[in-house]
Amino acid sequence: MRPFYIYLLLFCSLISFGQEADYRISAISPELLKNANAVYRLDEMKIHLNSSRDMRSTFKQVVTVLNELGNKHANMSVHYDKERKVKSIEAYVYDSNGKELERIKRKDFQDVSAVDGFSLYVDDRRLYYNYTPVQYPYTLEFSYEVETSDTGLFPSWYFLPGYTASVEKSIYSVSYGNESLKPIVKEHHLEGIEVTRTETPGITSFTARNIPAVKKESLSPSFRKIAPKVAIRLPKFHFKGYDAAIDSWDDLGVWIHNHLLKEQTELPEHTKTEIRGLMKGVTDPLEKAKIVYDYVQENTRYISVQIGIGGFKPISAMEVDRVKYGDCKGLSNYAKALLSVVGVDAYYVHVQAGPDKVDFEEDFADLVQGNHAILAIPYNDMYYWVDCTSQVHPFGFVGDFTDDRKVLVVKPDGGEIVKTVSYLNKENHQHTRARLSLNAQGGIQAEVSIQTRGTQYDNHFKIEDDTPEEIDKHYKEYWGNINNLKLESYSFKNDQDSVLFEENVTLIAENYASNSGERILFTPNAFNRNDYVPNRHRTRKLPFEIQRGYMDEDEFEIVLPEGYSIEAMPSPVKVETEFGHYLTELIHEEESGTILYKRSLFIKQGDYSKEKYKAYRAFRKQVAANDNAKIVLIRSKT
Amino acid sequence: MKNLLLLLCIFTASLSLAQEVKFGKVSKAELSEAFYEKDSSASAVVLFRNISHKFNYIQNDGFHLVTHVHERIKIYNKNGFDYATISEALYHDGSTREALQGLKGYTYTLEEGEIVKTKLKSSESFTSSVNKYYDQEKFTMPNVKEGCVIEYQYRLDSPFWYSVDEIALQLDIPVKYQDVSIAIPEYFSFKPNFKGYLGVMPKYSKSNAKINYTSKTRTGNRMHARTNFSNEAIDYTLNTTQFLMEDVPALKEEPYVNDMDNYRAAVNYELQYVQFPNSIRESYSTTWEKVVEKIYKSDYFGKQLALSKYFRDDLAQIMANVQGDADLAAAIFHHVQQRMSWNGLNSHYTYNGVKEAYKEKSGNTADINLMLAAMLREAGLEANPVLISTRDNGIPLFPTREGFNYVVVALELGESMLFLDASNKYTKPNLLPIRALNWMGRVIKKDGTHVSVGVRPRSLSREGNMADIQLNLDGTIEGKMRKSYTEYRAYNFRNIYNKVSEEDYLEKFENKHGGIEVSDYTIKNRNTIGKPITEDFSFYMEDQLAVTGDKIYFSPLFFHTMTENPFKLEDRKFPIDFAYPWRDNCMFTITIPQGYEVDFLPESIKMSLPENAGSFVYRLAQKGNKIQVMADLKINEALIPAESYAVVKELFSKIVEKESEKVVLSKTSENEHTERSAGGR
Repeated sequence: MRPFYIYLLLFCSLISFGQEADYRISAISPELLKNANAVYRLDEMKIHLNSSRDMRSTFKQVVTVLNELGNKHANMSVHYDKERKVKSIEAYVYDSNGKELERIKRKDFQDVSAVDGFSLYVDDRRLYYNYTPVQYPYTLEFSYEVETSDTGLFPSWYFLPGYTASVEKSIYSVSYGNESLKPIVKEHHLEGIEVTRTETPGITSFTARNIPAVKKESLSPSFRKIAPKVAIRLPKFHFKGYDAAIDSWDDLGVWIHNHLLKEQTELPEHTKTEIRGLMKGVTDPLEKAKIVYDYVQENTRYISVQIGIGGFKPISAMEVDRVKYGDCKGLSNYAKALLSVVGVDAYYVHVQAGPDKVDFEEDFADLVQGNHAILAIPYNDMYYWVDCTSQVHPFGFVGDFTDDRKVLVVKPDGGEIVKTVSYLNKENHQHTRARLSLNAQGGIQAEVSIQTRGTQYDNHFKIEDDTPEEIDKHYKEYWGNINNLKLESYSFKNDQDSVLFEENVTLIAENYASNSGERILFTPNAFNRNDYVPNRHRTRKLPFEIQRGYMDEDEFEIVLPEGYSIEAMPSPVKVETEFGHYLTELIHEEESGTILYKRSLFIKQGDYSKEKYKAYRAFRKQVAANDNAKIVLIRSKT
Repeated sequence: MKNLLLLLCIFTASLSLAQEVKFGKVSKAELSEAFYEKDSSASAVVLFRNISHKFNYIQNDGFHLVTHVHERIKIYNKNGFDYATISEALYHDGSTREALQGLKGYTYTLEEGEIVKTKLKSSESFTSSVNKYYDQEKFTMPNVKEGCVIEYQYRLDSPFWYSVDEIALQLDIPVKYQDVSIAIPEYFSFKPNFKGYLGVMPKYSKSNAKINYTSKTRTGNRMHARTNFSNEAIDYTLNTTQFLMEDVPALKEEPYVNDMDNYRAAVNYELQYVQFPNSIRESYSTTWEKVVEKIYKSDYFGKQLALSKYFRDDLAQIMANVQGDADLAAAIFHHVQQRMSWNGLNSHYTYNGVKEAYKEKSGNTADINLMLAAMLREAGLEANPVLISTRDNGIPLFPTREGFNYVVVALELGESMLFLDASNKYTKPNLLPIRALNWMGRVIKKDGTHVSVGVRPRSLSREGNMADIQLNLDGTIEGKMRKSYTEYRAYNFRNIYNKVSEEDYLEKFENKHGGIEVSDYTIKNRNTIGKPITEDFSFYMEDQLAVTGDKIYFSPLFFHTMTENPFKLEDRKFPIDFAYPWRDNCMFTITIPQGYEVDFLPESIKMSLPENAGSFVYRLAQKGNKIQVMADLKINEALIPAESYAVVKELFSKIVEKESEKVVLSKTSENEHTERSAGGR
């Protein structure tokens, strides 16, 4: 009887909401209007679990949009699929006095495929409505109710939905029919907000109030890292037809292995023979792995098709072998199957990919974390990380997409949280060398070589596959500071084994230097000017982070035109800060008529407090200013 | 400028005989080819392309337009993999829908000298619903590798035979050989409209065709009915147009082009009339007259224009408060502009209908502007709708219905004609949204007559910068500045910045201008449309001067110096599109610090583009202890032909060069005297 009772209770509380709420804009506290483009008057998710295969959620959101930029918060969209059904959906629009302007009924919503922009096909669908605001501010009340048999995925609940939006009231509650359905809850960053937790038998809920808007600032950590949120998971859940009982990553690893991976690794005989054939004379597992990786890169490409449980389960290796494409899961699984044919161990890995480093949480095993799959290949007590969706990256090099973060390694006997490879500070190295001749008209002719490693390699090496037009465009932009740049020739060397990329470029540019009467003025740092200065914020509120450090070293030999002498030359600079260093040196060799310009810029990875932001800005300003410093030549009097 | 309208006649090789290419007959030579010799940068090339459009008669359903597609594509490298994914948009309208049928595809690879075929399974083609009217059918070929050849064929069956989609004759990759045709039964007359910068030479031919059908006749009375079936055939003539082309170059992206598709070689077929035997000719569009008539008569256009009851009360109120035609027109325009919000859709046909739109206060461009025209007319003014093709819809060179997708209003006041568009909050008379600035439009008068009018703006949109600047020996500068914006410069400013707070705007402004620090900021006319926006502020900026020894060097326009030439490519094929004529000028007065004198001032120059299309004046002069700098850049033409690209590029390169030249100041000798004497005491 109890579940029924709770269910009724839930329903009553739903009904009690409605038009009598005060949606006037004048009712919003001034504190919540500051820095806000939208105010969430109410953001509410009520989840009720009847069983591990029966869940009903009611969602209600009331958002006052203050201006055009706030429109992105006026969301009227809900996803559904085979297991998840939308029972009801509707919306109301109110003016600034809380007067109803429009009612949007279920039939007004468009029902379309949930196209994600990169998949060939996704079988999920979406109900949405496009509303054209006729005035600002306005208030949108949007609610829906969904029912599903999937209880394995609970997206985190954000009490603050994003930058430049504030929240009056945010409620997240989960009720459940019996104790075995009681969810495990994890709180994140709730310390700074006003929140009440209620925990009674059969119900767990959170109510947060009056959270002011936060403004995005340069270099601030990603929103998901600082946002107040709760995550929940069920120890026993049902997902796309499978039951699960999960206590730890170990359990989840086993579950993933048994239900999603185990049966997907068959390969056709001819492919097995082919791959074995490639291993003649190779015994070292790492060498074998490299051959398999090359084989996968040569023979497959990334195409995403998401059907049914496809969001989690790779398509079979057999299928990938036939069509020669797959998504991250399919390609990882295919490579894993090939590796196993030649006796190399490899583990399937769930990771949250992207330039922003996001860790899996060691004490919270769920399916929500992660958006990408790669492989971990154990070798000599360490892992080599391999991303099979890349057509171009060298073996074992994952760049800034999956580096330096905790991920789930799925082993047949359990899951394990491991940190991926990191590319730290000076490992991200760029070495630029140039010989540059300046003529009396201000033109230059130069030979430049650039060597890059680490994440800087990642930023450069893809140019190798570009068309001549794209390469021409690339250098004109890369050296946008050089007016009239013309490429004479270029060549590249990509050393995949040591992950080192080398570019050799020769170029000319008329009027690089400016002639001012008797004088020629030019910037000795022609090929690696760094004028990045993070934005000035009148009052900095958030800490900042430098996600990846790097080191640039430059040596330019400048041949001066005859008949000129140096009138002024920048002094050497030596700046050491906690964020890194900046050094320049200019050596004039009168005999050969050359100037040797040396520069080194080091930026250190780190998390820094907001108080240090000013100092960091000052450092970058110093770099920008000195990178632009000029040498003045004057025509010698004869 | 006229020559821009003409199709340039760079004819590609035209062939007289069609090649016979059988599906599946892919050669080893095709598979082993490493690059395309005519364009080695191509990542893929269409080896063969056969697109034929046929009108099939289906008994009880009428004609269907069936497009047969057969393409064979060579993929050289990974960048070309995208061409192995094909997608088609399929329109549907209630129960009638377009369909993709008969899909068949193979990928061919060369493996150890042998050709390997991989079949595309029909289950690997997917249909997604995009919106109320469109589905998307998408498939990707299996076993795609560098060097492979893919081949597929399918039919697109459309019950909407009267609407032929644009037929592309040029793709984003080169085409080695194509045979594109359309065979039109004599009953239909379609008019072809060509576009693009590639000459095409169609081949015309006639042939005979038959419609077979079964007819039934009933005889006898109700009690003893008999139905006779008989097979009959009707002979008719097919008029075929065929495009046989070899070595069609890829359409390559260029900057400062508003939409590359406007320059793609393609042909559009527009239905002119339908005439079946023994029936009356039903006419569609043949001339501008017909096009306009058809639009004018539409329920979503002319009828909407005639409605007036829904705004009568509001109009009466407006009319009671103003006098004179000009003020009345302004008040009506203001009313519609303030009341209505644009829903983001362009059309010359109404979306909700004017009445509903007026009530809901939102609508598409036709809802809003037809309502505006109707109100102006009701108030006794001479106002007419103007049909327009937006910038991304192509230039309406030929009479077509689909060539138009937008409507604005032309108001005649005395001698002058003003264009009005109330679908943006910051437009004003004679300032249309940028999307509508596309050569010309057609004014439709009440009696249905119409004339072509130019809608390109003539007045210069100006950004002015005036500053008084002090130089400090620590390398910083400070001063006061006034910026002003007129016409489209003001329109853009309002559209972009009026929605953000002043603090956010200033942060953006400061960061855009290399960390300038702004204080005492005031802005005027932010919302007073029609008046220039002016901003006044004090500023401070570091690292603007190089102070070395007894010299000071600086670029006299400081943060306003143009440091990069926006035109980087060596040459271009398409016109440079600036949207509207503009002028950017700076007048800076720089105070020479005490104890310094001018050592060097860059030379003043004046340059202009041919035919007065633009000019640049840069002037520096010393007056007492001040240096006056003036930089004035004018682009008088919104559109500059590609032939002038080299001179435009040269002009901008010269601007970059001149503006980065340094002024040199040096310490005066008197100063040294005073210092010395001071030191002597």
